[in-house]
Amino acid sequence: MKRSLPVLMVTSIVTVTALALAGCSGSPSNGAASGSATEPVTLTMWGTYGNGGNTAQTDVLNKTLIPSFEASHPGITVKYVDIPYDSLKQKLTTGAAGGELPDLVRSDIGWVAQFASLGVLAPLDQKMSDFTTLSGAVYPGSLATNAWNGHYYGLPLDTNTRVLITSQAALTAAGMTKPPATFDDLKAMATALKGKKIAVFADSGLQGWNILPWIWSGGGEITDPKLTKSTGYLDGPQSVAAVQMLVDLYKQGAIPNLLTGNAGATSTSDGLPKGQYATILDGPWMHDIWKGQYPDFTPIYAPVPAGPGGSISVVGGEDIVIPATTTHMDAAAQFVRYTQSDEFQLAMAKVGQMPVVQAAGTKAAAADPASAPFATQLATARPRLAIPQSSQVDTILSTELTPAFTGTTTVQAALTSAAKQIDALLASK
Amino acid sequence: MKTLQRTRPAAAVLRHMLLAVGALVMLTPFVYMVSTSFKSQAYVLTIPPQFVPNPATLNNYIQVLTTQDFAAYFMNSVAVATTSTVISVLISSMTAYAFARFRFAGRELLFRLVLVGLMVPAMMLIIPQFIIAKQLGLIDSLPGLVVFYVAGSISLNTFLLLGFFQTIEGELFEAMQVDGANAWTRYWRLVMPLSTPALATTTIFTFLATWDEFAWALTIINDPAKRTLPLAIELFQGQNATQWGLVFAASVIAVLPVIVVFLIFQKYFVQGLSSGAVKG
Amino acid sequence: MTVRAAAEAPAAARTARRRRLAGRATPYLFLAPGLVLFGGLILYPMARAFQMSFYDWKVLAGATSTFIGLDNYARAAGDPVFWRGLANSGVYMALSVPPQIALGLLIAMLLKAKSPSQPVYRVLFYLPVITSWVVASLLFKYLFADKGLINWALGDVLHLGDGSTSWLSSRWTALVAICALGVWKGIGWSMMIFLAALQGVPQSLEEAATMDGANRWQRFRVVTVPAIRPTLGFVVVMLVIGGFNVFTSVLLMTAGGPGGQTEVLLTYMYRQAFSNLNFGYGSAIAVLLTVIVFVLTLIQMRLFNTSEKDER
Repeated sequence: MKRSLPVLMVTSIVTVTALALAGCSGSPSNGAASGSATEPVTLTMWGTYGNGGNTAQTDVLNKTLIPSFEASHPGITVKYVDIPYDSLKQKLTTGAAGGELPDLVRSDIGWVAQFASLGVLAPLDQKMSDFTTLSGAVYPGSLATNAWNGHYYGLPLDTNTRVLITSQAALTAAGMTKPPATFDDLKAMATALKGKKIAVFADSGLQGWNILPWIWSGGGEITDPKLTKSTGYLDGPQSVAAVQMLVDLYKQGAIPNLLTGNAGATSTSDGLPKGQYATILDGPWMHDIWKGQYPDFTPIYAPVPAGPGGSISVVGGEDIVIPATTTHMDAAAQFVRYTQSDEFQLAMAKVGQMPVVQAAGTKAAAADPASAPFATQLATARPRLAIPQSSQVDTILSTELTPAFTGTTTVQAALTSAAKQIDALLASK
Repeated sequence: MKTLQRTRPAAAVLRHMLLAVGALVMLTPFVYMVSTSFKSQAYVLTIPPQFVPNPATLNNYIQVLTTQDFAAYFMNSVAVATTSTVISVLISSMTAYAFARFRFAGRELLFRLVLVGLMVPAMMLIIPQFIIAKQLGLIDSLPGLVVFYVAGSISLNTFLLLGFFQTIEGELFEAMQVDGANAWTRYWRLVMPLSTPALATTTIFTFLATWDEFAWALTIINDPAKRTLPLAIELFQGQNATQWGLVFAASVIAVLPVIVVFLIFQKYFVQGLSSGAVKG
Repeated sequence: MTVRAAAEAPAAARTARRRRLAGRATPYLFLAPGLVLFGGLILYPMARAFQMSFYDWKVLAGATSTFIGLDNYARAAGDPVFWRGLANSGVYMALSVPPQIALGLLIAMLLKAKSPSQPVYRVLFYLPVITSWVVASLLFKYLFADKGLINWALGDVLHLGDGSTSWLSSRWTALVAICALGVWKGIGWSMMIFLAALQGVPQSLEEAATMDGANRWQRFRVVTVPAIRPTLGFVVVMLVIGGFNVFTSVLLMTAGGPGGQTEVLLTYMYRQAFSNLNFGYGSAIAVLLTVIVFVLTLIQMRLFNTSEKDER
């Protein structure tokens, strides 16, 4: 009756080892297949199409696009492996350290320069003879995210940008008939909303993704065009004026402290439909999220309010890259080429990934009116700094700007200090 | 035993009230996780929290069980966690026994090295470990998880068991030694049976740790067929929006085996009481 | 007689020597499986990580890294974020460890006696431990949100203040929220260990103390605490180590924000290593963390050990 713990342990180790071995013997590992053209090739691709249990994108990829590619390219098999979004970079890093990378990667646009500078990625402009044809067809802002040190290490795969989103309730409360189109409209809206417990604008941080649309639209810059210097650009009068406008609104209470990193504040995706926030900047994915969460809410999309520099937003999205260690360069390049086709771009557009090829973008916008404002904004949208240390730029911006909003320093001082630190990064690249 | 039964009723009531209040506080977030797993996305994470799902739905569970090969991942996790736990507890108890009952050259140094193993942030070891795993041919395999899970748990388990082994009366060992029992017999027949509560605790901790491990599994597992549960759950967290109902439903399914292991092994606490050191 | 004894003597000496040798080998045989695995898969990688901290380390396989001596350590010494992270980790440790020990031990004492409800409570108190960190962190983030349950309870129920604290918007209030999570999630763990240790406390001692007229508190101090001292030492050491290694909860509740104010050592290390790919600097931070914790641990173990020896 009293089975002792050691006996139980020994029994279970035997059972479980047997179980484990039985479970492992099933699938042989995909060893390095030969790269010769006649033999069948298996390409492994890592990506994050899984998108949180929403299988629409993986289904299109696995059930429609990959089979179609395999049919038109006999001898090439593509095996797509879905990686959790927050973990792909870590997996790429360890994979690079151990020399265990796949043949294709769908990479965040912010990582390409970083991995290229480490020598992890193959320069596609040298490996693909038709690269200029392909690169000439995509949005320039998206293409720029693939550049590093005079070469292109990938092609855009999908893209997105932020536009101004507002609600009819907010416009009515402010007595406006259309969304704020300029900086002045926004300031007027803030005045009109005073005392109504509605914030005129909300955003969830002070990183490049958040702050650059305002600086660019205000006519400012973060660096010179050649990415050599930030001082004189980020701390220039137009950049300062654009940020100062946000600081003024913040100090009036028209922008909530979500902007300065209060993780407990109502998020933008809840605050807008609930009527707490009048406007936000966000991407095309919000449409489906709200459809699920706030079925009664109708978002109104408009361009980023224009300042002295026009209405300029920031580019997001993913690129497709080929790790330099692949033994199937030709086959991988074939697949990269396929991702630029109308078939691939339009199929992905239907499940929420905006096309990067301008012609496909126009077609997709015609097919889906909800994506039209984003397509328009994309024509002028710009990428963040395509340098290996782009994540550090975000940290610098957010760390330096927070005190400017909370009132312990001036915008000029904050941006001067940030520019100096970015100078150092640019010098060390 | 008599003193235990003589507890005054007022004290017993107070004791139960304290426990009940504490248990309620402990339970609340867990209940919230379970309740969220029965909500559709529109009702997830509302403020103030809604504890009784209204309307309730089973869709999250259906989706968890159908969109990924969840049953296979579950079995992978069972195999990996059970094997790792059993091997780790056996090996660690031997190590702890050596430290607790023998004086030998290098004891202090070796023990300090084992201690350092507790303090190094595991994330920092991941790249060197990955390179070793590659050299050993352990990439993309479940044994690769087991071997590193066992190695990673030795420090904690040795340290934990050592504390218990040190409390066993020295006379018991001397008595066995006089009877001619060798070191292995003393370990297997005396230390192990006397330490059932400690071994049960170690087993529970190790099982939970290996069951929940994410970073290493993410690093070495590529083949979707070899995924463990934490990897599968993480895949439900999206880039722009997370379907919390799904994540929580998957978490609820994942937590069940830990509760089962807990229930099985916690009865050894009672056994330890009746056959424990007091008897000897 | 003498001849036979003389003939036997060398054989007996050989046996004795063999036995002595075997006796000396015994502890190493017990240690071997554990130490081989530990040495090869933990210590060796640790040494490599230590080595990395002296390099401008390039992550790519086969790439050559530059030796830069102590530069990474000098950088840490002059990096305000590193110091703030260290301070935050220390504050977390100091605020979250004592409650975990006190409450864990209290609950273990309450649950020590056999009763039908005991296993049920044991499971209930252990539930937070088996709830995943991700789930628990998200939940506490929502509890401490501007319009969360905590503010509602403080303002509308208890009328302590106006209930409009933005808990996660400033350094100290955010640390309070993170500590609350740490305590909530850690009590069950220490309770388990204390429960196991209490099973080993001889009841005869308790009974003898009761006969001598000792009250509850005296019995606890004179009988229980000395009997579980090694375990108590273990729990204190482990919680201090765990406190300095706080990571997931900070990452998910504040992500080190606002403006890096709640960054702890490990979130900063992780950012440097896996986001900025500064593995050399990340390793240096990890090494510094390990050294600090190691010294603290040795001090604690000395405290627990000397007093233990005094009693023997």
